[in-house]
Amino acid sequence: MRDYDEGIKEEESEINLTPMLDVVFIMLIFFIVTAVFVKDPGVEVRQPVAITAVEAGAGSIYVAITPQDEIWIDRDVVDPTEVRFAIERLLAEAPEAGVVIKADADARNELVLRVMDAAKAAGVQEIIIAAGPV
Amino acid sequence: MRKHIASVRQEDDENEINLTPMLDVVFIMLIFFIVTASFIRETGLDAQRPDQDEQPQITDEEGAILVIINDRDEIYIDNEIVDMRSVRPRIEAARAEDAERPMVIQTHPDSTNKMLVAILDEANQAGITNVSIVEY
Repeated sequence: MRDYDEGIKEEESEINLTPMLDVVFIMLIFFIVTAVFVKDPGVEVRQPVAITAVEAGAGSIYVAITPQDEIWIDRDVVDPTEVRFAIERLLAEAPEAGVVIKADADARNELVLRVMDAAKAAGVQEIIIAAGPV
Repeated sequence: MRKHIASVRQEDDENEINLTPMLDVVFIMLIFFIVTASFIRETGLDAQRPDQDEQPQITDEEGAILVIINDRDEIYIDNEIVDMRSVRPRIEAARAEDAERPMVIQTHPDSTNKMLVAILDEANQAGITNVSIVEY
């Protein structure tokens, strides 16, 4: 009798992994769904600072402009005339995305304005000029 | 017969799927997605660009506060050269007459981005939301 009892107890004390597995799966699905793979422009720029800087939306398209007049999108140098198509291509993957222009503090405004025009022509609603907090 | 059932039961027990390797994989995927999750967002300033055909009208429009940045990064308001520090008082004074006045920033192609951002920042601090950026 005693032996039988102990046998059952041992079997019950084996940890049931199913609820943990459920939780882990739900977390996994949550992180997969919310995962935003940032399209890094591929170049570091020295951003200007601004007191009134606001947060850009998640999953934005990043366009970097260097002081050497290069435009970088998705780790590639893009010709100023091709910027619109590059943005359109990225926009096809995330239609709600805004554009963040990461222009160097010493980048020329001609290119900043050209990128803004290209983004507008591509149908982007939200255009933000990146600026770090002071 | 009874013996046969018993043997089937035993086989069933042995056939129970071992979840441990799958759990390992799931955990590794979970950790990967947590680590790659980007919670950091870029900060910046909202910028508006008028339509191409509206540009000449906007710069000529009476009543708009016109701020010009030239190729040497000098700031002109009302055709007067203005120091960076006095930009905000000037904008605020211009707006005191009419709070609905829009603002136009006219930038030279060779002016630098930091001046544009600085003036946008000043405009935001002065509470102007309607800022357009046009070419020189």
